[in-house]
Amino acid sequence: MSARGGPGRTATGASADAPTFHFFAGKGGVGKTTCAAATALMLAEDGHRVLVVSTDPAHSLSDVFARRLGGTPRRLPARRGSLRALELDADRALVRWLTRRRSTLRTIAERGTYLDDEDLGRLLRLSFPGVDELMGLVELARVARQGGYERVVVDTAPTGHALRLLAMPQTLRRVAAVLNDMYAKHRFLAESLGRGYRPDAADRLIEELETDGRELTSLLQAPERCRFSWVLLPETLALAEARDGVASLAASDIGVSEMLVNRVTPPSGPSCALCDGRRRVEGRVLAEIRRAFPRLPIRVLPALPDEPRGVAGLRAVVALLRRKAATTGATSPTKPRAGALPSRRLTAATPPVWTATLQALAPAGVRLLVVAGKGGVGKTTVAATLALELSRQRPQARVLLLSADPAHSLGDVLQAPVDDEEQAITGAPESLRVRELDAGRAFARTRERYQRTVEDTFDSLLRGSRFDVAYDREALRGLMDLAPPGMDELFAILSVIEALLEREPPVDLVVLDTAPTGHALRLLEMPGAALGWVHALLAILLKYREVVGLGDVAADLVATARRLRELIALLSDPARARVVAVTRAAELPERETERLLDRLRRLRMTVPAVVVNAATPPGCARCERERRREARWRRRLGSRRPRRAQAWSIIGSPAVTPPPRGVAALGAWSCAWEAAE
Amino acid sequence: MIVLDTLLIGGIKFVLRRIAEAVDAQLNDVDTLRQELLAAQMQVELGEMSDAEFADIEAALLARLREIQTRAREEGGDAVRITGVDVSVRDGVDDDASPEGAPER
Repeated sequence: MSARGGPGRTATGASADAPTFHFFAGKGGVGKTTCAAATALMLAEDGHRVLVVSTDPAHSLSDVFARRLGGTPRRLPARRGSLRALELDADRALVRWLTRRRSTLRTIAERGTYLDDEDLGRLLRLSFPGVDELMGLVELARVARQGGYERVVVDTAPTGHALRLLAMPQTLRRVAAVLNDMYAKHRFLAESLGRGYRPDAADRLIEELETDGRELTSLLQAPERCRFSWVLLPETLALAEARDGVASLAASDIGVSEMLVNRVTPPSGPSCALCDGRRRVEGRVLAEIRRAFPRLPIRVLPALPDEPRGVAGLRAVVALLRRKAATTGATSPTKPRAGALPSRRLTAATPPVWTATLQALAPAGVRLLVVAGKGGVGKTTVAATLALELSRQRPQARVLLLSADPAHSLGDVLQAPVDDEEQAITGAPESLRVRELDAGRAFARTRERYQRTVEDTFDSLLRGSRFDVAYDREALRGLMDLAPPGMDELFAILSVIEALLEREPPVDLVVLDTAPTGHALRLLEMPGAALGWVHALLAILLKYREVVGLGDVAADLVATARRLRELIALLSDPARARVVAVTRAAELPERETERLLDRLRRLRMTVPAVVVNAATPPGCARCERERRREARWRRRLGSRRPRRAQAWSIIGSPAVTPPPRGVAALGAWSCAWEAAE
Repeated sequence: MIVLDTLLIGGIKFVLRRIAEAVDAQLNDVDTLRQELLAAQMQVELGEMSDAEFADIEAALLARLREIQTRAREEGGDAVRITGVDVSVRDGVDDDASPEGAPER
C-alpha cells in the first residue's frame, strides 16, 4: 500500500515503468502453477525482469520450481533476464500492514467511535479467516513496486477464492468510505471549534485505501496492463467451472485474454482403452470449449511424458508455450480413433468392498466427514460417492452432502440440479440430501436479519446523532452489502452447526466437500477464529451495554459462541468427526497431501484414510510408464504413514474415462474401488 | 358539553396513560432482569465469571422474575383490563393529575 511511499506513490505505480501483470486462474489441479511458472521463465529468458507470485494459501510454486520459496522474492536461475519467485504469506502481510498503520487506525476509532484503545487492540489481535483474499492484491502490488519488475506473473488460488481475491479492491474502497465517515465527525468538530481543519495521518490513510482500491480495480480492468489466462483441462467439470468463472470476471469488467487447455492427451502415440477413450472425450470437450469461447484464443498444451519440475523441466512447457501459434491453428489433435473402447471398467463386476471401507471411514457415531485435498484430485467425485454409499448402507440415517467450495461442482458430478436448498437426488437413496452452499445468499439473509440492529448499534457507537453531522448511511449499508472475506468458510461452518446441532431432528451425518486444501484448512480453523470474533464482540457489547443496550445480537452471539464451542469439541473428537484426504499418485498432489496431513494433525483432526484417486489401469506403453510413476508416489505416501494403530489407511480408486458422472455411474465406479488396507 | 367532554376524555386519557406507564414499568423491569441475565451469560462466555457465580446470579434473577410475574398475575384479576373500548379503573381517580399519582407496580 502506498502510505509510506508519500504522495505520487500509488498501489500499482501507474506510470510508464509500472509492471504488467499476468494472472493464471482456473479450477484446482489444472496446472495453473506450472503454466504460471513456465510463463515467468519464458518472459525472463526473453530478457525481462520478472517476478512470479503465488497467492494460493496452499502454495505449489516451491514444488514446481523444486526450490524452497517464501514470503520474500527469491532469485531463480534463468539464462537471460531475471526471475524471482515468492509465495505470499498473507498473515505476515496483514501484520506488517497493520503495524505501520495501527496508531492511525486507533486515532480514527477513538475520534470517530466510542471504541477505545483496548477495544481496538482486541479487534486488531484477532485472526482473519479471509486474510488471503484481503491482503493478496495489496501485498502483490507492494512487492511488485519494490523490486522494479517489468512483468509480474500471478498464480492464483482455485476459481472460487480467486474470484473473491479479485473482488477485494471494492472492499478496500468501502472500508475507506466508512473510515471517512467516522472521521467526518472529528473534522466537523475541529472546524466548528474555530481552529480550522488540516488533513492529518488519518486522512492520508483513508486516501491511501481509496486510492489503492481504485487503482487495483482499474489495473484489473485494463487489458494493456493486466492479462488473464484461464487454464483448464479438456474435461467437462473444468469447462463448467471455466464458463462460470469467465462470466463472473466479465461481470466485474475483467476480460480473459486466452484459454489454455492443458494436459491434452497427444494424438499420436500408443493406443489403449484408457488413452483412446480419453482422446475421444477430450476431442468432444475441446470442440465444446471452442463453442463456449468463440472470441478467445484457445491454446492447447499436450500432456508431457514427465511432470515438468524445476527450471530445466519447465523449459519443456516453455517450448510448448512458444509454439502456441502453430498448435492453435491445428485444432484437431484429438481425433477419436475408430474402435476406442468405452469405459468398460464401469461395468467391472468387482464385489463391493464398501461395508469394511465405510466402517473404517465413518463408523456409526461419526457426525461429520470432511473430504479435503488439492484441487483437481477428484474431491467432489469422491465425496459424492462416499455420501451415496453411506446412505445406501444406512437407509435409516439422515445424510447431508454439503459442498462448501464457492466454485461448486456437486451438481455437475451428480448430473442433477443442485442448489442452496437441500434436496433429494433422483436415483439416490431417499435419506440423502444434497446442497451447494451459497454463502452470498446466506450472508444476505443474516444481513437482513440484523440490518436494523446493526445500524442502531453503529448509530450509538458512531456518535453521529450528537453533532448532526451527515455521515453517509449508504456507506454503512454498502459495507454490509459487501461479502466479507472468509464468508464462504464462515457460512459453511454455520450450516454444519445448523444441520448437526440445531435442527430437529438433526442430520445424522454431514459429508462436507470442501474447497481445495488451503481454504479447507481455513475452514477447519474457522470455528476457533469465529469464536475469537464472537468473544471480542461480546466484550465490546458488554462494556458499552449502557450506551447500546444488549439486544438480540448479544443473545444470538452467546448462542453462537456455545455452538462454536460444541463444534470445536466435535471436530477434535475422533468418534464424531473425521477428514478423508483425497490425492493422486503424482508429485504435486503428493507433496500437498503431506502438508495437509501435517496441518490436520496439528489441528488434532482424525484422518481415517487417504483416497489415492484416478489410478491408471494397465494399458499402453504410456499408461504403463504412468503406472510405474504412480506406484513410486504411492509407496512414498505409504512410507509417510505414522507407525501407530490409529494410522490412516490407503484406499485406491481407478481412473476411468469418461469420468463417472451421475448416480448410476458413480455407483458403478465405486465397485472398482480397493478396500481400505 | 364541552366541559363534560373534556373531563371525560381527559379522564380516559389519564387512565390510559397510567395503564401504559404501569405496563411499561413492569416490562422494563422484566427487560432489565433479562438484560442482566444476558450480561451474566456473556461474562461466563468470556471467562469473566465462574459457573458457580453465574448459578447464584441466575437463581437470584429468576426469583425476582417470578416475583414480578406472580404480582402481575395477582393484580391482573381486578387491576387493569382493556377490552375493546371498555376501560375499567381500579382506584377511581378521574382527573388529569400529576405523575406522582401513578400507581405502584
